[in-house]
Amino acid sequence: MAPNPTESLDSILQQITTSNNAAALNHTLRNALPKESRDTILASVLGSGQDPLCVLDVRQNTLGVLYILAARVTTPNATPPPWSLILQFCQCFIPSHARLAPDRVTALARGIVTFANSMGSPKSAIPPLSNLVQRFPPDASYLTPLHPILALACTSTSTPDALLPHLATPITTIDLSLTPELTYTDNLVFHYLAGIALASLGRYGEAEEMFDIVVGAPGIVPSALQVEAAKKLWLVGLIGRGVVPAFPKYTNSFIPRLLKTTPYSAFVAAYPHKRELLSDIIQREATLFATEKNTGLLQRALARAPRWALKKLTATYVTLGLADIGRAVGIESEDAVRSLVLSMIETDDIAAQISADGTVTFMDVAPKFTQAQVEEVLAQVQDQTAALRDLEREVGRSKEFLSKAVKSREEAHWLGPSDEDAFSLNAAGVWAEDAIFS
Amino acid sequence: MEIDDEHQQSPSTSTRPQPSKKATAPVDDAHPFDLEGYISNYSGRTAIDRLIHITQTCPTIAPEAFQLAVQHVHQSRDPGLYQQLLTAYEQTAANADLPAPLPNAMELAPLDTVWADETMTKNQAEKVKLEVELKTYSNNMIKESIRMAHRDLGSYYRSVGEYSSAVKHFVKSREYCATSQHVLEMCLSVLEIFLEQRNYAHISTYVFKADAALEAAINSNSGAGPGSSTTGAPTPTAGKKKVSVERQQVQSKLDLATALSHLGQSNYEKAAYSFLKVGPAKELGDWVGTVIAPGDIAVYGTLCALSSLPRSSLRNVLLGNSVFGVYLEQEPYIRELIESYMASDFKKVLDILSRYSTRHLADIHLTQHITELTDQIRNWAVVLYFQPFATIKLDRMSKAFGWTIEEVERHVVQLIQAGSIQGRVDSQNKILYAKKTDYRADLFARAIKTATEIQAANRKLLLRMKLQQADLIIKGHAISTLTEMLARD
Repeated sequence: MAPNPTESLDSILQQITTSNNAAALNHTLRNALPKESRDTILASVLGSGQDPLCVLDVRQNTLGVLYILAARVTTPNATPPPWSLILQFCQCFIPSHARLAPDRVTALARGIVTFANSMGSPKSAIPPLSNLVQRFPPDASYLTPLHPILALACTSTSTPDALLPHLATPITTIDLSLTPELTYTDNLVFHYLAGIALASLGRYGEAEEMFDIVVGAPGIVPSALQVEAAKKLWLVGLIGRGVVPAFPKYTNSFIPRLLKTTPYSAFVAAYPHKRELLSDIIQREATLFATEKNTGLLQRALARAPRWALKKLTATYVTLGLADIGRAVGIESEDAVRSLVLSMIETDDIAAQISADGTVTFMDVAPKFTQAQVEEVLAQVQDQTAALRDLEREVGRSKEFLSKAVKSREEAHWLGPSDEDAFSLNAAGVWAEDAIFS
Repeated sequence: MEIDDEHQQSPSTSTRPQPSKKATAPVDDAHPFDLEGYISNYSGRTAIDRLIHITQTCPTIAPEAFQLAVQHVHQSRDPGLYQQLLTAYEQTAANADLPAPLPNAMELAPLDTVWADETMTKNQAEKVKLEVELKTYSNNMIKESIRMAHRDLGSYYRSVGEYSSAVKHFVKSREYCATSQHVLEMCLSVLEIFLEQRNYAHISTYVFKADAALEAAINSNSGAGPGSSTTGAPTPTAGKKKVSVERQQVQSKLDLATALSHLGQSNYEKAAYSFLKVGPAKELGDWVGTVIAPGDIAVYGTLCALSSLPRSSLRNVLLGNSVFGVYLEQEPYIRELIESYMASDFKKVLDILSRYSTRHLADIHLTQHITELTDQIRNWAVVLYFQPFATIKLDRMSKAFGWTIEEVERHVVQLIQAGSIQGRVDSQNKILYAKKTDYRADLFARAIKTATEIQAANRKLLLRMKLQQADLIIKGHAISTLTEMLARD
């Protein structure tokens, strides 16, 4: 006999308000109701016709509100919760309670996106999601399933800067006990989207790192996303540094092979000197590039090609006429060359001066560093060394490592010492005897 | 018995690589070339091959080369060569832009048809005879005779220019070899064919096999020594001496083959060392003339050495090598080349190289590589010249090398971009500056850069490790939903 939804919700609300043990409450909420109808029940109203959310305190009853909110935003036809309440909840829920029900948090995050879309303003999903991502994990180095949801919300609404605070600390922790439903795609999607966000903000160096993480993600087979990331990795490398970044050593060997036959390979090979060929490639493969959403990056790379060509010249020449530079980098108008040189001087890409007769003198760029910088790097290195040492110790005492080490030692023992060892043992024995007798 | 399957590939590669566009070489006062003198160093098949090559590369002396070649063809056993020669000549005649058209080939030196017919019949008869012999021996299952039959057939096919059949028979004879001596003989025959065909890629395999066979032959001979000591003491020592001479001869041939194979595959440094290892000309025996002229060894060895070795080792390996010195006597201009190079008279070096460019282009082994070799020698020269200077005016360099200032600048810029010269060019004032590096600052900058890079790498690796620990590994199921998700971005 199915319990009357209203009655059940009333009794559950009772439990929520009276319970003072979060773990027990989580257990009840999860298991007390029949699985199929749980969300429907949670999404209904109280027997008195009152909205249960009005009764509960968003902070004190974190778990209860979380369950009800998640049910409300995901169940079709349920009365949508007040938006302000969602915002309030995301700002002040108790993280330790919410961590008991990570799947509900993820469901809520997904629901927020759908809800915001149905309200016609997808952008409004970003602040609550941002709060969730910030407050749910113990610290910012954790990866959660919330991360890709936020990243997608930011990039799809072209507000990439909203993602920046979450990229300040790189992701280094994966904890399945915190978020059991984390999958490899969460890692790929988050870093891929982060790369796109950074690239669209012009922070190519950081974007490169993000794509690099995606390309180097562990796997038996390459994922389509990794191939896409590899293409973008090349392009942001070209834009940001003028060179093709190498894939990490541990990259799946299929990825470079898959790229070999694409027009991207041809583009990279022609960069930066053959400008005509480059624009030719962009035009010829326009539809492909457009479907893969890389036209923008390609255009930017093309526009920056003369900079890199010019930068290479500084390593070869001390002085060069503007016209000569133009010929070398493929720009005809002398004024355009002049403005290019000026803009590169401004951005500190080159050190040069232009004299009145159009001669550009390149100066040696002395490497710049301050004492503070050196000390900072040293401190970071020490930190990292300590962190690595801790990690090594942890691995050294982990069960897997020890059992493996013991096993391999046993095997070695079982095989017996090699002939050479045996001989040296005997020899040592003889020596010892000699010593005794002498 | 591993009879490698490369002899199966050889027919396909045996069709000589015909570069689509041959460089043509002028023969005039500035580029002297003594055809008669050159070709008199060679005999047999290689002389014809070389003449055909000259016909193709030097239009000015093509008629002369053609006539000489026809004479050589008439002494050979392969009338098919005439056709090959004729095609080469006609191609040259069609392509060359000379003031006067080349004379008609048929008028220059027609084919002696009587000779051709006779040779064809004789060839056919011999072929039938040899094949019948092989069949008889095979039926009788006499190993040694079968080997000899195969060997004879191989030699026969080689003499009539059917190289793939020749290689096939030689390799087949390997199965019936009873002693290492026989294996060695087989390897050398195959090597000769490969060298004639300029099939450089396969040479090293047979050199390797021959080395092993040589080793085995020596061992078995010295092993026989103590056993036969009852018959008399002096014989083993005499035998040993003879063995070591033989060994030297084979070794020299193998060294030469290796050297040519390295040259053919553009490994100039290895080629240089191998050429310098080759023993005196008398050890090469019948290979002098049929494969190579002693002067060639001097030319190849020197050019390879100059192009790839640093100057410090050149003195030792080129000038301190007495055996190679004898070869150098054959080509006085090469000695002059080395001397001017060692004296840093680079203008003269380049002059000599350009003066003898025809001689080098006309050489069948060198023709593919001479441009590359010359470039590399020139690059070394520029690098060496600039080494002691902090700044130098380009026009001073142009005087030293006999180039225009633009040429100097072009070369210098190329070398800077290739990383061979640490310097920068003042293109307005035409001065080359050596790069000044503040090593302390550079070191700090590099250290900081490396530190940041390694930190980033560590971070990524940590994440990757954590992912692996959590088993978040990409496994092969479709992620179409994902791509759909991303289609919106």
